[in-house]
Amino acid sequence: MDFSFSDEQRDVQNLAQAILNDKATPERQDALEKQGERYDAQLWAQLAESGLLGVALEAKYGGMNFGFTELCLLIEEVGRTTAPVPVVPVLVSSVLPIQRFGTDEQKQRLLPGVASGELLLTAALMESCNENPATPALTNARAQGQGYVLNGSKLCVPFADKAQRILLSAQTDTGVGVFLLDPQASGVSLAPLKVTSQEPQFELLLNNVMVEAKDVIDTGAKGASIMQWLAERTSTAYCAMQTGVSDKSMRMTASYTGERQQFDVPIATFQAVGHRAADCYIDVECQRLVTQQAISLLDNEREATTEVEIAKIWTGDCGHRVSFAAQHLHGGVGIDKDYPLWRYCVWSRHIEMILGSSASTLALLGGRIAAGRAFAN
Amino acid sequence: MKIEFTPEQAALRTELRAYFEQLMTPELQDEVDATPGEGGGPLFWQAMKKLGQDGWIGVGWPKELGGRGMSDIEQMIFVDEVMRAGFPFPFLTTEAVGPVLAQHASERMKSELVPKILSGKLIIAIGYSEPAAGTDLASLTTTATLEGDEWVIKGQKIFTSLAQHADYIWLAARTNPDPDIKKHKGISIFLVPTNAEGYDCTPIHTLGDVTTNATYYDSVRVPADHLVGELDKGWRLVTGQLNRERMSLVNCGPVSQLLNNTIQWAMDNKLPNGDRVIDQPWVQINLAKVRSGIEVLKLMTYKSAWKASNPVEGEDPMTAAASEMADASAAKTYGTEFFVEAYRLLAEILGQASTLHLDSKGSELRGRLEMLYRTASIITFGGGANEIQRDIIAAAGLWMPRAQR
Ligand SMILES: Cc1cc2nc3c(=O)[nH]c(=O)nc-3n(C[C@H](O)[C@H](O)[C@H](O)COP(=O)(O)OP(=O)(O)OC[C@H]3O[C@@H](n4cnc5c(N)ncnc54)[C@H](O)[C@@H]3O)c2cc1C
Repeated sequence: MDFSFSDEQRDVQNLAQAILNDKATPERQDALEKQGERYDAQLWAQLAESGLLGVALEAKYGGMNFGFTELCLLIEEVGRTTAPVPVVPVLVSSVLPIQRFGTDEQKQRLLPGVASGELLLTAALMESCNENPATPALTNARAQGQGYVLNGSKLCVPFADKAQRILLSAQTDTGVGVFLLDPQASGVSLAPLKVTSQEPQFELLLNNVMVEAKDVIDTGAKGASIMQWLAERTSTAYCAMQTGVSDKSMRMTASYTGERQQFDVPIATFQAVGHRAADCYIDVECQRLVTQQAISLLDNEREATTEVEIAKIWTGDCGHRVSFAAQHLHGGVGIDKDYPLWRYCVWSRHIEMILGSSASTLALLGGRIAAGRAFAN
Repeated sequence: MKIEFTPEQAALRTELRAYFEQLMTPELQDEVDATPGEGGGPLFWQAMKKLGQDGWIGVGWPKELGGRGMSDIEQMIFVDEVMRAGFPFPFLTTEAVGPVLAQHASERMKSELVPKILSGKLIIAIGYSEPAAGTDLASLTTTATLEGDEWVIKGQKIFTSLAQHADYIWLAARTNPDPDIKKHKGISIFLVPTNAEGYDCTPIHTLGDVTTNATYYDSVRVPADHLVGELDKGWRLVTGQLNRERMSLVNCGPVSQLLNNTIQWAMDNKLPNGDRVIDQPWVQINLAKVRSGIEVLKLMTYKSAWKASNPVEGEDPMTAAASEMADASAAKTYGTEFFVEAYRLLAEILGQASTLHLDSKGSELRGRLEMLYRTASIITFGGGANEIQRDIIAAAGLWMPRAQR
């Protein structure tokens, strides 16, 4: 058991903090939101320049050659600042599976561009009423010539308009296929969505879209396990982001209540106020621990389905409770859009509902327990 | 960061699990069940002797004091396994009071008591609480005054658990009556033999069948060298072990075992329609809630143990102490409230069978859930009320200003 961070990990954390604190200010985010798109291209370029976009990429693709732990440290800091950059869709959901399961040609073609900030990738993980990308129900792929023809739909695809390729799964004759879709291809249509977190998201409709052989990752034998692999990493990365989001909103609440006076005393001195904040501290500590465990196990390529599910359950619960406690203890200021707390609240909801809520994940874990696969050893 | 047991730690767990499975014979289990949380029967003492011979008492004590000098993580593994097995190991004597005594008691007391503790022949009861001094322990009024070369102790203690089996009471008494000093500044610790003249002990029967005691000190005289540590500086000995105690209070061993047993029970038992109890969605949800709650507890306790032997380099000691305190309080609050919730979630699965007492026909899982319903309320106010823990978290973990008290 080792809970420490190495010097390199601290360096990554400090570098991410320095850039994000400097660039992802509430004023900057406010300006972008007013322009109508929550994406900071300048900041993305700066993260590329610092090397952070390649933190978990191998050196031959222009990366730093670190692992999932270091990547999650960056993501936690993005959560802590609510920076408008697509770290999880790009750096986790699409880059990691390509690096792990893609062909050499795919890696050469796509990964260096991600590290340098020149291109974005994303993943379409959700379908209507289906939050498990390992079992696509509304999307299918039919072999044709060297490639595949795709039909169907995906919901809530982040940054679909800006991505060079969209990683997605579809049913094939032999199982679940994993493809890299070109959003510019003929037969693709994107409809913009309006979502709580203001992340740019799209509905993706596929009407006889041709995917060339070079953009196929798997045609069915291993597709489901690849999607499960990436879904576990995506969930866990969002858990890491929630640690940053909840920790920061809790600390904002602690300092605000220490200063705000009512009845001639700081409101923090009311025991009921202190205790609600203390409950946030407990929640954040719990969420952080199960998240770190999941990160550590995945980074070492251990079987960690139970631990990832537990992290996701805690993330939803903690995110929700801390969000409402923080707003409540701030009173009116908490929901004033000139004060940055509201962004933490909407991102908590974003993360809570992605790839399964606490309730649906509890049901999955319960199923594993009933199958004798999750005893408390 | 590598949050998994090392091969050596995993091996220690396996070794200890096998050891305690053997130690807990069905006969010992029956004896223990009959006296919840207590021990004290003949088979208990026999097992204690064996534990002493095998070197499993004082695992955390430094080697110089006769212990095993185990690292904090190894100690946590030990506590986990003992508690999972359900053996009423006298942790307060061996792990909380013992090491303090071995360090701070007079030479004569040390040479008399330490070998007995380490060989499993001695239990010490803790006499802190009084009828009017519970959460606000520093307001205690039992006094000790020096007359010649003897201390004369006058007062009453309440909830002195295990006093009925103990040779000594580890007693907190006021030694400085000066009303102008802060109330926790004039307290000292004494070792009071339970066979001393003027000492008396009467049982208090509690809801959970745990028998505790009221103890009375009617001018009890003890030799001067029964004072432990420095005069008037006893508060530090009272609070010094608190973080560790809070952590061992919320050990995840027993609840893990209880969950596993309930899972097995729900797999083995059938509903009238032929489905297993565990096939019902709500049962799976209850089990999953407990499972995910346990995981946190495990990580909290192991992280605190890891931290104790891996101080962050260059961290300001004040900050480190504050965060250690906040984390211990978070673990105590979370753990105790989780236990109460977990016992309910598991009892719901047994349904009405969870109200059948161990001794009753038809009881399930040795009546554990029946009993836990009656004992669980102690933990949220004992060991420092959870309100106090939340006060500590707000102040030490979040640096929030606190009200004057
Ligand atoms: C079975 C059992 C075994 C025990 N064993 C021992 C033992 O071996 N040795 C020993 O010394 N003691 C022992 N105790 C005593 C135990 O430590 C006390 O019960 C505990 O300290 C609480 O004190 P109290 O019961 O007087 O409750 P009180 O101090 O009266 O507290 C009651 C409630 O008041 C509230 N409260 C109190 N202070 C505050 C505050 N500052 N802010 C907000 N709310 C507050 C809390 O909700 C608290 O739960 C035992 C108790 C039991 C039941």
